[in-house]
Amino acid sequence: MAAEDNGEFYLRYYVGHKGKFGHEFLEFEFRPDGKLRYANNSNYKNDTMIRKEVFLTPAVLKECRRIIAESEIMKEDDNNWPEPDRVGRQELEIVMGNEHISFTTSKIGSLVDVQSSKDPEGLRIFYYLVQDLKCFVFSLISLHFKIKPI
Amino acid sequence: MAAADVEAVDFEPEEDDLMDEDGAVDVETSPRAPLPKLKSAITGGSSSFSAPKKTKGRGFREETDAERNSRFAANNFDSLDSDGGPGPQRSIEGWIILVTGVHEEAQEDDLQNTFGEFGEVKNLHLNLDRRTGFVKGYALIEYENFEEAQAAISAINGTELLTQTIYVDWAFSNGPFKRRNMRRRSPRGHRSRSPRRRY
Repeated sequence: MAAEDNGEFYLRYYVGHKGKFGHEFLEFEFRPDGKLRYANNSNYKNDTMIRKEVFLTPAVLKECRRIIAESEIMKEDDNNWPEPDRVGRQELEIVMGNEHISFTTSKIGSLVDVQSSKDPEGLRIFYYLVQDLKCFVFSLISLHFKIKPI
Repeated sequence: MAAADVEAVDFEPEEDDLMDEDGAVDVETSPRAPLPKLKSAITGGSSSFSAPKKTKGRGFREETDAERNSRFAANNFDSLDSDGGPGPQRSIEGWIILVTGVHEEAQEDDLQNTFGEFGEVKNLHLNLDRRTGFVKGYALIEYENFEEAQAAISAINGTELLTQTIYVDWAFSNGPFKRRNMRRRSPRGHRSRSPRRRY
């Protein structure tokens, strides 16, 4: 599919809430120039923000696009998804080919939340895509930055 | 690749120089009216792309949270030092390669057998599809030495694993541009010009 391999690509995912330990959130971003930025913030026990960035090769961006294209998230719409609330908020913004989506919804605790929503099919796609993207990003960031314990 | 595609993914150094030692460069781009704006918090502002897009989603209809835009305007993201020049970048303790096209029933052993030939595999991530439980399709492998990783890339890229063609390449790079002496500004920096000679 042309949209996967050619044209612009940008992805941003955010999940967070504001509460007793401040604005706790996770956010990562795949930028068109290949830079991956990752941020994780919490004031739990006076913790501070973690911010990492690294340039990815075109091969990695291509795989990210493939994961997104395969999920078919670009065909979905968030108008029947639960709105963000006090418990939290998720945002997914993707530019791929000539399409630009910017979805927001509440946190999803489990498949039960997906099943009981007004758009279980679409929300399920979102739910699993987010997990797959987190896996990908956490692997990239931890492999690049984390020292292995003995 | 068509010229339009190359332009579309072009990196604009002036407005997005996040590694700039001289300080933050604001990422606000010139307004190009009807184009959808990214509400990227990490970018610290909004930036738009060159071609018009079909847009979809609640995010376009919401008011941009002012706090969100300023939250990531800071440029103090941690990164590893580059040893200069373009090309693959070393990770914290080794060199990471990406394998794609991995068969969904592949197991870690299959990858160990194939890639272990070029050097000791220090780290192996073979992530699963969270919905199906099958292999997602990629793997990340770490070698201690550049030469080992390069040998694996050269030998295995485009060959078959479990009847499926796999592709192997570096995962991390120094960046899209070769930086002269790793600085963008001349060493003169912010020094003012010498006064004009008066004759």
